[in-house]
Amino acid sequence: MAVPVEINHVKAQGIIRITWDDGYSCEYTKEYLRGYCPCALCQGHTAAVEKRFVEVPNVELDVIEPVGNYAIGFRWSDGHVTGIYTFDYLRSLCPRGECEKS
Amino acid sequence: MALFGRRFWQRNAEGEKRSDMSSATQESVLAALGTVQDPELHKDIVTLGMVKDLAVAGGKVSLTVELTTPACPLKDQIKADVERALAPLGVTELALEFGAQVRGSKAGAGTTDLLPSVKNIVLVASGKGGVGKSTVAANLAVALQRHGASVGLLDADIYGPSVPILMGVNEEPGKVEVDDGYKLAPPVAHGVPVMSIGFFLERDQAVIWRGPMLGKALQQLMSDVHWGELDYLVVDMPPGTGDVQITFSQQLKCSGAVLVATPQDVALADVVRAKSMFDKVHIPIVGMVENMSYFVCDGCGKQHEIFSRGGAQRAADSFGVPFLGEIPMVSAIREWGDKGVPILAQEPDSPTGKAFLEAAARLAGQLSVASEAAEGAPGLKIVTT
Repeated sequence: MAVPVEINHVKAQGIIRITWDDGYSCEYTKEYLRGYCPCALCQGHTAAVEKRFVEVPNVELDVIEPVGNYAIGFRWSDGHVTGIYTFDYLRSLCPRGECEKS
Repeated sequence: MALFGRRFWQRNAEGEKRSDMSSATQESVLAALGTVQDPELHKDIVTLGMVKDLAVAGGKVSLTVELTTPACPLKDQIKADVERALAPLGVTELALEFGAQVRGSKAGAGTTDLLPSVKNIVLVASGKGGVGKSTVAANLAVALQRHGASVGLLDADIYGPSVPILMGVNEEPGKVEVDDGYKLAPPVAHGVPVMSIGFFLERDQAVIWRGPMLGKALQQLMSDVHWGELDYLVVDMPPGTGDVQITFSQQLKCSGAVLVATPQDVALADVVRAKSMFDKVHIPIVGMVENMSYFVCDGCGKQHEIFSRGGAQRAADSFGVPFLGEIPMVSAIREWGDKGVPILAQEPDSPTGKAFLEAAARLAGQLSVASEAAEGAPGLKIVTT
């Protein structure tokens, strides 16, 4: 299981770049990460296979906080804070897709 | 001060005579010690920074080997290896002392640490209830303390807080003044400060709380208690994989979890679930303990393997996690437990007492290994550019 070693919020470009301990790196736009928030409010209470996308245009990322040993919490400018993004989930969200295969 | 035994003296009697010509220097001794491996950490004791107070004068050498835990099960082996390494240098007199400086093993990406003065936090957990988890937690805590470490015991089993009974604590926590107000001072029993959610509940009343309430109570139990400097904090978890486990995995930097299981198949099925939960939250399993391994008949002395024996060992092997030991089923555990005395405190030389002491030593060894890994871990950097 890959673990992030660096999370870089590149404000000017509106992206979040995660570098993993296996050397791989993923880039997400802030809208993309906010949109795939894993919390029950955003995804519903069912164990849905399909990921739902919640559109929040021009959302800003205010704070990045680790949660325990296994996840990251983001505080968004729309006041949303309930998503706990596990490392595995973040990796599976990587827009490049190959992450999942590697 | 531990001097070498007679045999060493005899072997080096000749060297003693020509002690003036001994080739031992600070450098050559250090180089020789550099060939002595810590048997658990698989690195040499010089690189690990375990060699302290080294003095070399002629053929006389004195040093302290600072172990990573006072409960180190491998002192004798390290001592023998040091003797062997220094023998060729013409050392005539060796004073070898052991010290211990427990290292922290809180691994992982988390940056929030509610208990910075605690070096190692161990969650004692199980897949199901009734496996003797609290008994194992209490005795492991006392065993680590007997080995010379400073240990605390936190009872987080909100549904059945039994640690106050097992440790014989009747008093309530006191208050202690700290920098910014007051904190709770845990009562000390058998040399171990004890805190339990049971102290705050009314007698015979059930806890009927939903997640958020629980989380709040647990957080207070973690952050509002003045533990002082601890080498190890042993946490007695509630059974299963629920809210309490989630709160701990999110709020604390844990060193690892010890899984307690009885050996029968139906119990082991639940242990797999507990293992899988800890995997998901990236808390390493530092060992498994098999409780109620066998019953010793007080009439004939025959061992009866009531729940079949060895199941937890097999499970540990299949998980690839260390097995810490088998605890027999003896009525003395129950009898002393009911009196508020962990069996280890009462009968340290009984087979059960020894089993707990050995399991605690193996656990401490595993935590030393974990601390070595934690030191080398890259950690998580969060930056904004």
